[in-house]
Amino acid sequence: MSELSAAALSYLIAFADDEHMIGARHTSWIGMGPFLEEDLAFCSIAQDELGHAIALYELVVDSFGSSSELVTPIDHFALLRPAADYRSCSLAEAACDDWQDALVRHWLYDRAEELRWAALADSSNPALAAIALRSEREEVFHRAHAESFMSRIASSGNASSIALITDSIQRLLPLGDGLWDPPDAEADAIAEGFVTESSASMASKWKQDIAQDIQKWNLPVGLEIQIYLNEAAPSASSFGDRLQRSEGFDQFLTSLQAVISLDPEAEW
Amino acid sequence: MKTYEVFLKKAGKDEFRHAGALDAPDDEMARLLARESYVRRGEGAQMWLVARSAIIEGEEEFLSPNFDKPHRHNDGSNIAARRKRKRSETEGFEA
Repeated sequence: MSELSAAALSYLIAFADDEHMIGARHTSWIGMGPFLEEDLAFCSIAQDELGHAIALYELVVDSFGSSSELVTPIDHFALLRPAADYRSCSLAEAACDDWQDALVRHWLYDRAEELRWAALADSSNPALAAIALRSEREEVFHRAHAESFMSRIASSGNASSIALITDSIQRLLPLGDGLWDPPDAEADAIAEGFVTESSASMASKWKQDIAQDIQKWNLPVGLEIQIYLNEAAPSASSFGDRLQRSEGFDQFLTSLQAVISLDPEAEW
Repeated sequence: MKTYEVFLKKAGKDEFRHAGALDAPDDEMARLLARESYVRRGEGAQMWLVARSAIIEGEEEFLSPNFDKPHRHNDGSNIAARRKRKRSETEGFEA
């Protein structure tokens, strides 16, 4: 049970909320995957992301210490905060109701996760560094999974499938900027060694990774996407992305609360 | 889609055992998906995947002539029955 600085807490909450939202969104595909094996694989990835969220939330609530009177503070913290207190980014919150959107978001998000865990692997907080190492071992599979589908669709020769994922990329990629909206006081978190790389620096690496994938798969993205990927700095529109909830968030949060709100004090 | 048979081996001296089957579009996807379908909880330390089309089968019709050969089954029941009979004969009462 270690006390964390305000900067460290804000950094953890932003990442944990991203993992929580993406995990919860991914799980909405349970039973609807294109075939049974893929259904299982994608839901397993979703559960991995929820596992990451739990590990990060644990650090947060541990830091709050025993002052909390809640029976299960981690569930309460994860599910019962007011919507305005969440710090997830738009890309993690987006519904992605079409399978191609869910796939493209999975690829974009997990490309970013690789960089984000790497920036925590040498954290001055040993518990966080251990979580980062374990999570990255799982992420290797997540990326292989996303890559497998993206590369196969891209090389399928099926024009309508290629058009679907290209269209998804063009709609979702600009949302990805919000991933790199820095949590409050990120500079302090870097100064204390809690995290070793800034969001701005990771953003430019992420764009390079995404651009390389698109080139490798020979996907016909539009000029504006190519220009966007060539700009090192995140666009101004991403600023404050984590401070505002995206459209449909309230409804989504209510659905996540459906069980816990039956009896918030129940011990499960 | 191709069908693959999945075999898992636990760490140690256990042999590979059949775990089930799965469908996948190609070998690499089969590897990825089998991992999530069959080894999510560390059920095996090693995995073999075999395309079902590569399996050489001995089907039931081919094997069935060997079903009906009781003389090849030595489960001891004949001897046990004979002993029992002899015992009841010498001891003078019926079992």
